[in-house]
Amino acid sequence: MATVLNQYVRNVFDTAAAVFEGMAVTCSHFVRTPSTIQYPDRTDVRVQDTLPYRYRGILEVDLEICTGCLACERACPIDCIVIDAKKDKATKQMMLNRFDIDIAKCMYCGLCSEPCPTGSIHHTPEFEGADYSLESMLRRFVKEPVAAYKPKKVEDDPKIAPILERGMKYLDEFAAAGDEIEAEAEA
Amino acid sequence: MSIAGFEVEVDRGGGLETEEMTLNMGPQHPSTHGVLRFVVKADGEVMRRAIPDVGYLHRSIEKISEKVGWHGFMPYTDRVDYVAAMFCNQGWGMVTEKLADIEVPKRGEYCRVIAAELNRISSHLLSIGTMILDIGAITPFFHAFREREKINDLLEELCGARLTYNYMRIGGVAWDLPPGYEESVLAFLSQLEPMLDEFNTLVSDNTLFRGRCAKVATISAEQAISYNLVGPNLRASGVRYDVRRDEPYSVYPELEFDVPIGLGMAGEVGDSFDRYWVRFVEIKESMKILRQCFRQIPAGPVVAKVPRKLKPQEGDAQIRIESARGDMSWYAVSDGSEFPYRCKVRTGSFAAMSIIEELSPGLMLADLVTVIASLDIVAPEVDR
Amino acid sequence: MLQEFIDSLIADGLFGGLPRDVAYLIGMLAAGALVVFGFVLNVAGITTFVERRVWARIQSRVGPNRVGPQGVLQWLADGLKLLMKEEAIPFAADARLFKLAPFIVTIGFITAFVAMPFSSALIVADLNLGILYITSMTSLVVVGIMVAGWASNNKWSLIGGIRAAAQIVSYEIPAALSIFTVILITGTLSMQSIIQQQSWLPWDWFIFHNPFTFIGFFVTFVALLAEGNRTPFDLPEAESELVAGFVTEYSGARYLFFFLVEWGNLYVISAILVTLFLGGWQVPMIPVITDSAFGLNLLQALTFVGKSYFGVILIMWIRATLPRIRVDQLMTTCWKYLLPISFANFMGTALWVLIWPDGFLPAELLMTALGFGLVGYFFYRVAYHLRRSGAQITLSPLS
Repeated sequence: MATVLNQYVRNVFDTAAAVFEGMAVTCSHFVRTPSTIQYPDRTDVRVQDTLPYRYRGILEVDLEICTGCLACERACPIDCIVIDAKKDKATKQMMLNRFDIDIAKCMYCGLCSEPCPTGSIHHTPEFEGADYSLESMLRRFVKEPVAAYKPKKVEDDPKIAPILERGMKYLDEFAAAGDEIEAEAEA
Repeated sequence: MSIAGFEVEVDRGGGLETEEMTLNMGPQHPSTHGVLRFVVKADGEVMRRAIPDVGYLHRSIEKISEKVGWHGFMPYTDRVDYVAAMFCNQGWGMVTEKLADIEVPKRGEYCRVIAAELNRISSHLLSIGTMILDIGAITPFFHAFREREKINDLLEELCGARLTYNYMRIGGVAWDLPPGYEESVLAFLSQLEPMLDEFNTLVSDNTLFRGRCAKVATISAEQAISYNLVGPNLRASGVRYDVRRDEPYSVYPELEFDVPIGLGMAGEVGDSFDRYWVRFVEIKESMKILRQCFRQIPAGPVVAKVPRKLKPQEGDAQIRIESARGDMSWYAVSDGSEFPYRCKVRTGSFAAMSIIEELSPGLMLADLVTVIASLDIVAPEVDR
Repeated sequence: MLQEFIDSLIADGLFGGLPRDVAYLIGMLAAGALVVFGFVLNVAGITTFVERRVWARIQSRVGPNRVGPQGVLQWLADGLKLLMKEEAIPFAADARLFKLAPFIVTIGFITAFVAMPFSSALIVADLNLGILYITSMTSLVVVGIMVAGWASNNKWSLIGGIRAAAQIVSYEIPAALSIFTVILITGTLSMQSIIQQQSWLPWDWFIFHNPFTFIGFFVTFVALLAEGNRTPFDLPEAESELVAGFVTEYSGARYLFFFLVEWGNLYVISAILVTLFLGGWQVPMIPVITDSAFGLNLLQALTFVGKSYFGVILIMWIRATLPRIRVDQLMTTCWKYLLPISFANFMGTALWVLIWPDGFLPAELLMTALGFGLVGYFFYRVAYHLRRSGAQITLSPLS
């Protein structure tokens, strides 16, 4: 009888103590700083700017440095990239007639940007892709046929040089060992 | 109020006549963790039987592998178990490496283990968080998710995505650890520890929570083995089995960690509380592994040279890894072409799903959600 | 009081030549509308907003803060949205009962306010059956919930309704027994008389009257929580088990009524506890303010509503902390724990009143010290948890 009563009182006491302790934990949260941010408009900096460098957002193509090698099209597992590149017989130049990326299909895996020789196709930190129609999610990068970029030993065109520099940097950093980026950041 | 099991007597002869009620729980139900369906035969609050119905999330992932090639299948493996995608990445990587005889550089293996263990913590946090949510407490769920969000940030820094990582490649990993990664992970781990203690105070020591889990759906060791349960569900029943320890792969032989088993802290060995507790302790073990990894990680390349048009020799291979939901087995057949001939994944959730029907008779309706949550069933992993 | 007021208005000739009874009716309806629209609906609405903000802070979030300054108009926006929603009535439902149920629930809740005191003068009717009237009126809610669960023709709703019936009927017994411990001391059921027998000093409150009422306070609190379907006793609408319990099929304005009652009930629960155990509207006599009747009543009303609202926040806070219990545990808690304890309390208080009919001051002081000691230890534990987590601290409740 005594042990039963003992157990009874202990049960009540244990529950009361557990509730008491739990309430103390939650009460301490009343004065803690909330950890959420108020996306999209009440953040100190744009959320896109706070994302890490490797963030895989919406794809973008710098046509100026696209060589038309079709490596990205082949690498894409879901065929969301369609490129139409033909050799112009008159000028003997590779002409890009079409470079479409279906953002609605894209799964942001990053497999396309890895084989790119110049870093032309790359991920941006943009992630706000909501749209009203499927058609408008099809990004057409080629407005009118342009000549593909031909890699040179040293890039001297002042218009293309900075873009290429960005592309190569993207390629380097995307796959570089940690300490290399660190050295660059310090420099 | 700590209440042990309550014997429910169902009067079968004479007296008030009751009718069996068929309840359709799911596929849209708040606590089915995705899209599961149970046909519940209940007598009032007491279940006679709960019959699981799977297939609502079938996406033919295994078939897709035959169309997208060895490299291209990697992002699809993220979708096998989207809560713990790193393990699926690793499984596919390992099975292809075995087929094509590729050796992963040491640093690559360490990167894989770091990513996988971070993912294990995040998966277990989700599991115990949603379990408590299903039991009715809302706050611990948010606390668990707050910490999980920090892991998501860390993994985002590592591989650029928060859920479908696609971090690993055949022959290693895609990218090396970013600068300052060690510091940020260790800082996260050191702040996770007091949070886990607090979580203990708020949840594990709470008599109401224990009362809901204790002696609910106890799985004996024999039963667990005969139903082929794996991972934390098996270990909670007292079987000390972990692929990382018993059939070591990657760099796990170089790392020291314990394999926690259910101790029957709240009632019986193998009850719902033990399954919760094993996961909780595994988070701490993963933290231990992560700390060791950062101490031991060598310099060097992270990925082996693998041809872009990979054509493994004819044959088949099978590997097993310890995913967050237990022993995950990958099997692939190659016919020497660019595309896999066949791929098969064996996951833990499917086995866990099958035991629910056996456990259900005599449980209360409210216990069903506890059981689903404690077995940590992730619906896409059941169907693939 | 209301009657005297209307009499004076009639004397002023405000009602013209209307018969006296019609004037009374108009006056009563006007007073009722004032209480309902001026206080009850607003309190229920604001409570939903406050609850969301309180939860948000506990869960490391910010909570609704967009509608109006700091989101204070969120509850109006929610209510408006629900009113404009289409009301779907399931094809197989018993349409008449289905439509009726929300109103039964609302009547049970709103009529409780008739005997609810706000200050020494501000009460619709100081019934001599006060507390008994309130407990019986709030019991009407269970009828509405049962009807809702049955008429929806949905198995989840039905289980929710049955659970609610079992739960509320069971917990009424310990709740009533614990309320009787106070009535043993006061010898009256009238809400105003119960408050008048306490004072603004904590040791004159009935919670600290003797050890039994101290325990009785917690028993009443738990039992009333269960009657109000609040966590850890929110089984009738357990969202992870029963989808939404008895409100599963409801939408639009009818859903709004259930919503209103659930959150408004928080205030009723707290007000009952404050009246019985925590000194009600009793305020210290400050000559400057309390010389005028208006100042006195305002101060008393603020005290009463403030105390009650603290209770409301306490209930929200409990909901944010505890998991839900199971049906069998619900019954065990009631019949094996609360009921024997409340019987013991009842007998104990009876003996106490027999020995010390006018109270026993040393015991009262001791209980007060114990109570405040517990609160002090609680905050010590809070500080400990804060220190252990090493979290950043923001004292401002605003975001």
